[in-house]
Amino acid sequence: MNKINFYLLEYAYAYIKRNKNKNIFIVTVFTLLVALLSSVFFITTTVEHEMKERISYKPDIVVQAYKAGMQSSVDSALLDKLLEINGISSGHLRVEGTYDFRAKNRLFYLYGVAPFEDQEDPFIEQILQNEALNSSQMLVSDSVKESMHQAYYDKYFNFIKPDGSLQKVFIKKSFPVHKRIELQNLILLDQDTLRKIFGYSENEGSDIALSVANKNELDFITSKIRLMLPNAKVVSKNDLNVMYEKLFDYDSGVFLSLFVIAIFTFFIIIYDKANGLSSEEKREIGILKAIGWRVEDVLHAKFYEAAIISFFSFFTGLLIAFIYVFIFKAPLLGEIFMHNTLLDIHTFNLDFYLELSYTLLIFLLSVPVYIAATLIPSWRVATLDADEVMR
Amino acid sequence: MIEIKNVSKIYDGNIVALQDINLRFKEGELIILKGVSGSGKSTILSLIAGLSKPTLGEITVDKKKISKLPDHFAASYRRDNIGIVFQKYNLIPTLSVTENVLLPLFPLNLPRELMKEKSSNVLQKFSIEHKANVIVKNLSGGEQQRVAIARANINDPKIILADEPTANLDEKLSLEFIEILRELKSKKRTIIIATHDPLFFDLDIVDRTVSIEHGKLL
Amino acid sequence: MSYFKIIVLLFVTVFSLYAYPHYSDTLKEKKIYPLGQKIYQQKCSQINVLQYKNFQQLQQAIDQQEGCKNLQKRYKEALALYLWEKKRANTPQKQYPPLRVSKHEKCPICGMFLYKYPRWVSMIEYENGTKLYFDGLKDLFKYYFEHSKGIKELLAQEYYTQKTISARDAYFVIGSDVYGPMGNELIAFKDKQSAQNFLLDHRGKKIVRFSDITKEMVYKLDE
Repeated sequence: MNKINFYLLEYAYAYIKRNKNKNIFIVTVFTLLVALLSSVFFITTTVEHEMKERISYKPDIVVQAYKAGMQSSVDSALLDKLLEINGISSGHLRVEGTYDFRAKNRLFYLYGVAPFEDQEDPFIEQILQNEALNSSQMLVSDSVKESMHQAYYDKYFNFIKPDGSLQKVFIKKSFPVHKRIELQNLILLDQDTLRKIFGYSENEGSDIALSVANKNELDFITSKIRLMLPNAKVVSKNDLNVMYEKLFDYDSGVFLSLFVIAIFTFFIIIYDKANGLSSEEKREIGILKAIGWRVEDVLHAKFYEAAIISFFSFFTGLLIAFIYVFIFKAPLLGEIFMHNTLLDIHTFNLDFYLELSYTLLIFLLSVPVYIAATLIPSWRVATLDADEVMR
Repeated sequence: MIEIKNVSKIYDGNIVALQDINLRFKEGELIILKGVSGSGKSTILSLIAGLSKPTLGEITVDKKKISKLPDHFAASYRRDNIGIVFQKYNLIPTLSVTENVLLPLFPLNLPRELMKEKSSNVLQKFSIEHKANVIVKNLSGGEQQRVAIARANINDPKIILADEPTANLDEKLSLEFIEILRELKSKKRTIIIATHDPLFFDLDIVDRTVSIEHGKLL
Repeated sequence: MSYFKIIVLLFVTVFSLYAYPHYSDTLKEKKIYPLGQKIYQQKCSQINVLQYKNFQQLQQAIDQQEGCKNLQKRYKEALALYLWEKKRANTPQKQYPPLRVSKHEKCPICGMFLYKYPRWVSMIEYENGTKLYFDGLKDLFKYYFEHSKGIKELLAQEYYTQKTISARDAYFVIGSDVYGPMGNELIAFKDKQSAQNFLLDHRGKKIVRFSDITKEMVYKLDE
């Protein structure tokens, strides 16, 4: 079997054409099954991958102060205290938060930039490299600019401070967010200006971001801070990863049930196929044997037949899933990943990302199974005495 | 050349198809196996072809013990030595005439030119070459018969087995078939025909007629 | 009010204006020096710190310098501290490049691939230019005790900062609950203070210097 026998391949193809209706049905079911499962895996792996990438831009540890169960401001003195901990290589007080632009029913994400400060996020770092901000300027994303424009704010925007007075900030420039859709509400402005908008005093900020050089030490330092500050909320990068992994585990559970049903359906069809050849099919195998085909020749042809059907269906299914997920961005099926504030499928790019292991899994669960289900009954018939054709 | 010695064939443990048959065919002989359907004549053909094995006894073809051949070798033996013409032709209806004729050679994966040469030879011989590329199901009964015979001869077999070859043919076509037999016999083929068609009974080319009834020779 | 009082008051005002700020060393290392360095590079690189006799003079110069005179007080302070304590002292500390390994590099002692454990990589460099990488200091020492001739450098990664340091100057903690790819390890620190903190945090048994380490001690870690 080391060389492809094209005569047998032609024969197999003719055989498929002869049993058109049955094979169209099998190909349809097979293709849809592969398309469904691949879509699911494409979505989960891509969203998970993008999520991980986003988490990687976040600070190693974020410390938030809590008062009466609500997040409150932190004092810069706390940062100095935390920096004394061994293993924390640097840290800074961040001023950030959301601003509800009620006129357009939109939440802006305001991020305060202190001069001479490094940004964890390379995207923000890059924007700031090209544009220096003074205290009355801000940089906004294209989509924020559009919202402001709709409210006739073209040159500047008036933020309403907690005391009701206005803080006028000029729009210096807008930037495209490209693939970082999660930053489409971003506004970058001077940290002290933002303090005024949020009503913080000079030494206050919204949270503290810390970086840890040795990631092995991350969990230990996190728990150390938790002990040190029993009222604070301390979230490490690892915690975020675990949290989202749990979320994906839950979603994958939903998918798993889908998966089981789909596989089950597939196996029923396969079982039906494996369990009996029609008398016509049996007769044909008899004829082939009578004219001098050996059992392995029959199986060789049957292998080609099954391979044509299963490979065709598998790759068509894969292609459909690919188009559905990466080009049409998974309508309907993607909604399973909606978790209101945590995750919103629409804020994901769903850019092409493939984990070969899952594709391989689907391949192994379908193609060899189908080939076996074709070969086994044929083998059973082919090894019987072939004298039935003579009767 | 073909020797059938004390052969019995029992199906499913209790249906006796053949009982203690002893037969001997010489090379180039044309033998008619005569009997009503179910008398066991087809069984003899399938035993000679190696399609099934006798329950008892021994079959030797060219000093080879066919009844002892493992399946794998039986198939090769069949391909090289035996041509079978079935009652219902047993062609693959959606393949063309050429493809049907070449079907026995498909597993050998021969070069295209050689295959083409073989098929055009055999199609010419049985004057069906004008339909070479027609799909078999569009052929008439007589033409299908020719294709079936052509397929049986693709490997120049020494032995040709025919099972009720004229059952589906009218008289004109049956006579045509007999002409083909005459030609094959002139080429020293051993031909065994299982039939109950009286047309064959007093044919000049027939060397011997063997009658079978209820699995026994008369 | 006597003149004396006025002079004293003036002295106090001037002094408090340019008082020398006090911060802990860690805070300076982690926050103030990096900030000061950045300001220096971006805004006031024309200042030559060696011109000034004392800290107050430096502060005054910063106040007058174009580019940095409009900075906020805390930035000025960071700049001044950086210049005075780091730039002026200019202690020629030897800087080692980060220890990077290729995908094919294996530890000569245990034969494991090193790229999987980048945090534990250590290195011996011989005079003849040969560089050998190990997945942990334990393996490095095992090798070192067998082939200790002609060594140029013994490099390790500091546990907390992940910076490359010379093993000869390092403090090692043994018996801690932090395990490397080969189990019990010697964990390296650049100073005694961080070694002590680590010892407390991670239940270490003892702090040793390079010269204290013996062959038996290293092999005992495997038990």
